[in-house]
Amino acid sequence: MAVKTLSVDGQLISAREGQTLLEAAREAGISIPTLCHLDGLNAVGACRLCLVEANGRLLPSCLTPVAEEMDVQTQTDRLQRYRKQIVELLFAERNHVCSVCVANGNCELQSLAMRLGVDHLRYEPQEPECEVDLSHERYGLDHNRCVLCTRCVRVCDEIEGAHTWDVAGRGTHCRVITDLHQPWGDASTCTSCGKCVMACPTGALFHRGSSVSENVHDRETLHALILAREEKQWLV
Amino acid sequence: MARLRLATVWLGGCSGCHMSFLDMDEYLIDLAEIAEVVFSPLVDSKQYPEGVDVVLVEGAVCNVEHLEMIRRVRANSRILISFGDCAVTGNVSAIRNVQGGALPVLERAYVELSDPSGGIPSPSDIVPKLLDRVLPVHAVVKVDTFLPGCPPSGPMIRTALEKVLTGEPIDLMEHHLSFGGYGRPKGSEHLPASPSSSQSHS
Amino acid sequence: MGQRIVIDPVTRIEGHAKITLHLNDDHTVADARFHVTEFRGFERFCEGRPLWEMPGLTARICGICPVSHLMASAKAGDAILSVRIPPAAEKLRRLMNLGQIVQSHALSFFHLSGPDLLLGFDSDPAARNVFGLAQADRETARGGIRLRQFGQEIIEFLGGKKIHPDWCVPGGVREALSDSAREHIKQRISEAIETVRSALDLIKGLLERYPEEVTSFGHFPTLYLGLVAQDGSWEHYDGQLRIINADGTVLAETSDAGDSLELLGESVQPDSYLKSPYYRPLGLTDGMYRVGPLARLNLCERMGSPLADAELIEYRQRGGRIVSSSFFYHYARLVEILACIEQIDALLDDPDLNATHLRAQAGINAQEGVGVSEAPRGTLFHHYTVDEHGLIRSVNLIIATGQNNLAMNAAMLQIARHWIKGPQIPEGVLNRLEAGIRAFDPCLSCSTHAIGQMPILLQLIAPDGSVLDEVQRA
Repeated sequence: MAVKTLSVDGQLISAREGQTLLEAAREAGISIPTLCHLDGLNAVGACRLCLVEANGRLLPSCLTPVAEEMDVQTQTDRLQRYRKQIVELLFAERNHVCSVCVANGNCELQSLAMRLGVDHLRYEPQEPECEVDLSHERYGLDHNRCVLCTRCVRVCDEIEGAHTWDVAGRGTHCRVITDLHQPWGDASTCTSCGKCVMACPTGALFHRGSSVSENVHDRETLHALILAREEKQWLV
Repeated sequence: MARLRLATVWLGGCSGCHMSFLDMDEYLIDLAEIAEVVFSPLVDSKQYPEGVDVVLVEGAVCNVEHLEMIRRVRANSRILISFGDCAVTGNVSAIRNVQGGALPVLERAYVELSDPSGGIPSPSDIVPKLLDRVLPVHAVVKVDTFLPGCPPSGPMIRTALEKVLTGEPIDLMEHHLSFGGYGRPKGSEHLPASPSSSQSHS
Repeated sequence: MGQRIVIDPVTRIEGHAKITLHLNDDHTVADARFHVTEFRGFERFCEGRPLWEMPGLTARICGICPVSHLMASAKAGDAILSVRIPPAAEKLRRLMNLGQIVQSHALSFFHLSGPDLLLGFDSDPAARNVFGLAQADRETARGGIRLRQFGQEIIEFLGGKKIHPDWCVPGGVREALSDSAREHIKQRISEAIETVRSALDLIKGLLERYPEEVTSFGHFPTLYLGLVAQDGSWEHYDGQLRIINADGTVLAETSDAGDSLELLGESVQPDSYLKSPYYRPLGLTDGMYRVGPLARLNLCERMGSPLADAELIEYRQRGGRIVSSSFFYHYARLVEILACIEQIDALLDDPDLNATHLRAQAGINAQEGVGVSEAPRGTLFHHYTVDEHGLIRSVNLIIATGQNNLAMNAAMLQIARHWIKGPQIPEGVLNRLEAGIRAFDPCLSCSTHAIGQMPILLQLIAPDGSVLDEVQRA
């Protein structure tokens, strides 16, 4: 396995060939914010939060393979500005009311806002009308809180193998859907395994019966399942 | 040193931020020594005065009176703090925006749910007309500092006021404030990212 | 020609409101109206939300009594799940509700009305507030602040936050009380009792000092509505809903929250966002009733704890078996604080507070539910219908302050007629109009599901409705 040497934020690091910039940076203890990324799922570069400057070009670190002598910057003013903008735009796109959300306190969008210093929105909220689907006996879906990261789509397809979730519609009408856009409770492919709820970064997918700030995304269980499936390693 | 001229204003919110202000508890007694509360729902002045040093504005801009008020507040205040989530983002007060204008919301409350079905209170100089869209404060006037939270905690409000009193620049985000959260003073970083998730005191 | 006077904003109350006075040519008072100027529209935007989010969502109606909304909303949820919640959960809910009544009543007495009562209705308006009180009488202010803190801490120990704890849920509660919290609360009981007893001594003196206010601040017969325990004791969380008339005769009583709504109508007035509930069988004119501390003390036989029982006897010696002066709301509030502290003290010894089973689990078993609880200001109703999955179809909220709306307007008129004697209206008289409102401790955040502050603007209105003159209260 070839080793690549590159510079990240002025620090020389070595990475294995085939690794992404995000993986290499994390191994070197350099933290890059992400939202759509989830270890063990195929990267899609949907959210653009992990953009870095590689040899002066803006590239998503989750999809960019390391290269020899690459010069990578992860924390420039321009990147910080873009990341902040992205988070504000995500908030403005749907109806995120943190104070009364089931994921309040366990939400990656909320934590990102805090981490990036977003204390208000410079963009006008779009305030689209969104549905809530409680037809599934165990879980609920609230499009008001969806950031279209597609983690649910990928985890259901790649880990559970059911491919119940997909994406339909364009622009402001873009929605995650179950089967052929039936109510979730009527989706015959759904195994009710709950991996999509574990993977969701916000309060869009939640345990039915969750009250405000009560929904916990059980990431540890999900990672154990992914590890078991991908690496044939079982944590007991 | 002259006493700080402090004001608090309440637009469209639930008063929870003002209650959190009172949760500064005995510090209120010290505050009475160092600051003069020149305008607030808690005191009896009826007109927003001139020459206010710092004002905490709770609530979103929901009706024409709020609009008039917030412009006057901006003109007469040196530091305007957007106080709590309704002021900062619109929060719960702005949920009605999704329903497309004020009318459907009014009809539900006053026509469909009343008996005898009376009709909607008529806007006048007494009952102000609702805005079709609820706005956060910074959509109408310039805001100097944002203090998010639903509500921000008493200790957090105290931290902000103490910075104003000492003339320090106010950067509150270093205190891990978050929308919907319950900001805490520095030194509690070991707690989970947002303290709004219920914690037992064991 | 007539004159209209508007007081704008009415201050030191929880909400945005105005008062208008309509004067005749000879400067006598033709009419007085109390207007609430805020509206936020909860009833509409809750539609389509999951039932389980309703306690947290409706708590945002009011920052003063979010716990009341948690209780009523969770109880409506209990009804829709059709569960009986675990006994420990009920006790814990009671504990939080008691803590809330203490903090809210302390706020009303010390922070909001205290400046009138202790500094005087005619004292300097610039200092007639809690900060002025802190400088004039530091220890009384400190006692009041600490008493409110005592209640707020109970809420925080249980729910993790002092304001908007998301702790009550359909089926029960989320957390028990830790032993360390229990100890902390216990240690503060005796100080809290001492504070409220001093305040009771104060209010008894004030009855002597303000006889004219006692007889003019909304002193008239009405009906009274509220919860009472099965055995007739004072009740704040559950029990029977009872309506009595001005001489104490029971007009209606029910233990079914759903039935209780049949007893009430709600009317709308054209110049206020505050709706006016009335007792439906007697119609809008004769159906005026009062809720809250005054009503609860009129409805019950006893408080149910030793110190408060003794105070109730004395209270009735001063005001009668059925007390009709709204000024007595202040006094009733203090008796209730004492009862709450005693009940908190008794509850703390209950081993159930450590229980682990705190939540009954169930799906949607009914598509309609009503939750009733006693908020500090009076009876609160949450009425929901849901679809088969638990999405809210409709919400109606009947709020304590709204139920006092007719009585508050009547009190306005009585105060205005008693105190306005000629063309010159001193500031102290205008303040009495506000103080009359403050006696009811209205929570307008709640009542309009909105919020704001009260302006007073006196406007003079001619018989044809045109505005002839205005005095802005500045």
